[in-house]
Amino acid sequence: MSEEDYPSLRILPSALAEGQGDRPFVAIVRNREELCRWLSDPLPGLKWLQVEGTLGDSDAWTEAAHTDSDVSLDVVLSDPAAEFSDLYKLVDTCAVHDCRVTILARPGLLKAVKLAAALALPVRILPGQPTAEVLAELKEVLDFYLHAPTVEAAVEFFHSLLAITYGADTGSLWMILEEDPAAFFQYDINGQARLPRSNAFECVEICAAEFVEHHLKSLVDQGGECATCPWQQSCRGYFKWPDPAYSCEGVKELFSLIQAAADEIGRDLAGGTLANR
Amino acid sequence: MSGRVFSVILLPTSECNVACDYCFEHKEPHRLSPALLPLLTKRLLDHLENEHIEECEIYWQGGEAMIMGPDWFAHAGEIMDSAAARRGRRFVHYLQTNLISYSPGWNDVIHGMFNGSIGTSMDYPNVHRKLFRGGAEAYTELWTKRLRETKAAGIEVGVIAVLHQASLEAGSGKFYRYFTEELGLCDFQVNTPFPGGPAKQLENDFTLDLSALARFLVGLFDIWIARGYASGVSLGPFDGLIDHFTGKQARLPCIWKENCSNQFISVDSKGTVAQCDCWVTSYPEYFFGNVFQEPDLTRMLKTSRARRDFVERPNRLVRDEDCLSCRYLSICHGGCPVRTYSALGTMMAKDPYCEVYKAVFACAEAHGREILRRRLARPWNRLTTSVAPVAE
Repeated sequence: MSEEDYPSLRILPSALAEGQGDRPFVAIVRNREELCRWLSDPLPGLKWLQVEGTLGDSDAWTEAAHTDSDVSLDVVLSDPAAEFSDLYKLVDTCAVHDCRVTILARPGLLKAVKLAAALALPVRILPGQPTAEVLAELKEVLDFYLHAPTVEAAVEFFHSLLAITYGADTGSLWMILEEDPAAFFQYDINGQARLPRSNAFECVEICAAEFVEHHLKSLVDQGGECATCPWQQSCRGYFKWPDPAYSCEGVKELFSLIQAAADEIGRDLAGGTLANR
Repeated sequence: MSGRVFSVILLPTSECNVACDYCFEHKEPHRLSPALLPLLTKRLLDHLENEHIEECEIYWQGGEAMIMGPDWFAHAGEIMDSAAARRGRRFVHYLQTNLISYSPGWNDVIHGMFNGSIGTSMDYPNVHRKLFRGGAEAYTELWTKRLRETKAAGIEVGVIAVLHQASLEAGSGKFYRYFTEELGLCDFQVNTPFPGGPAKQLENDFTLDLSALARFLVGLFDIWIARGYASGVSLGPFDGLIDHFTGKQARLPCIWKENCSNQFISVDSKGTVAQCDCWVTSYPEYFFGNVFQEPDLTRMLKTSRARRDFVERPNRLVRDEDCLSCRYLSICHGGCPVRTYSALGTMMAKDPYCEVYKAVFACAEAHGREILRRRLARPWNRLTTSVAPVAE
């Protein structure tokens, strides 16, 4: 089976995206020229721009704020400790384009989330396989997201995992974080399809639609943590990729905190309903 | 066209007809020549086009703007508005005046160019706003007379009150009653003082105890909530804060913007461009350029070394100050650069009124929560198994 059989969204470097025509795609831009090119003359199939390595370029954002197109922007922070304060450069751009911030879970994550929240920017945290240090910071971010009264926009993946506990059908973490190859097909600069957070590309096109299920089945068959994990349904082995030997002990604590928050919300709602009868 | 807002604080003169003690402006006899209006208008319209902005708010101030006379404004409005219309743009005009020179001769231009409303200023008690001959008491008497005349002419008047020591000593109750009962106003706002420019020499007279100021403002907030909020009295910035804390789109004052450099500039009668009227009249070291000498306003703003400090300020505050850990960062963003600069000699620090703002924000948050709670508690808003929730 080829990728033509799967209606997935292609995520491509800017140069490769030029030939997409009407097919839905995301263009990855890495400098001012690429950003302005797509903002000024987007192809019909462009869904949004994934902006990398450009947050510190003030001139890029000045020009971005001048464009009339309704292209949405996903601004990626790969070094949140160094980059977080540059989020202020997005203020004018956010007035004319829908913007989201994607933050790789690395040191400085909490600062970046706090400032993004203060600017009312939706956040997508890409946790990968977090170190113990980053896990500690993820827990702080969760606490901030749950309890800071000034948080208005969603912080994924916490937002959707909370929704799942109330029956929302948001799919697994792979889908929530837009990394399920069945729906989001990534390509490198050479046009090779890649699995997320990996250099593996062999046979991706054949396996894309079933990648997550095959991956989970493999983990379960090995009798590892996933086999008995209470969050298997929502996680689907997300944290066991690309290294299946990664220990999920800290991640499970994070899931427990989210579950506890959901339980608390449930009790509060039940208490409010009873009081109003 | 973008949804961005751009404003220009335009000072057609820095001459003034009164002698307020705490004025931060350097006064000099100079007025914007009508011959330069087309060039000024072109520079502004070019900038709006470069920025893909359709509408520009012009805040006419001074010195004292009414010194120019109603005919000057009628002429200026005609030139600017017709030029804007030819280029598919629009100016919206606002007038801030001390009202001392008001006469019925102003009515046509106020109802036309300024859409029937003006802004003015008065403190309570007034001890610092003075006539050149007559002092504070005479100023208050004349201003009050002018206020009644403008209201009789069907003009809506918003009043700005600057707080000072005597305000705090009078107390928030008397302060509130003066504006709402004695003057009969339903639209006023309070500003914190800052000793900038020439007033720096009198700094000690205008430095307020921050705890006392916070208590005054919280007390005033409580009184307004109890007596004015539901009765149509608009008290800035409290009304904006209540909108924010009750989930509505809020218009908060410039001192709490993410970055004021994104949204407005000031231009004086000589064409000097700076961040706001406070800067253009007091701090030449932070002038951006001159709109009559430089052909491209957009380029001037983009390349101005002085302006870069304003652009960088919020970035620096979240790194160097404790703003990132503040509950109210999303409202405040480190406060006002000119208040900071006037007090500390640098703008790369948070606003010295930080603790005062926090007290006001906490008060607003509590009132906002109570307003929402009362809305939810209304019988027709309760959820039952048989009755669908009714939208408010």
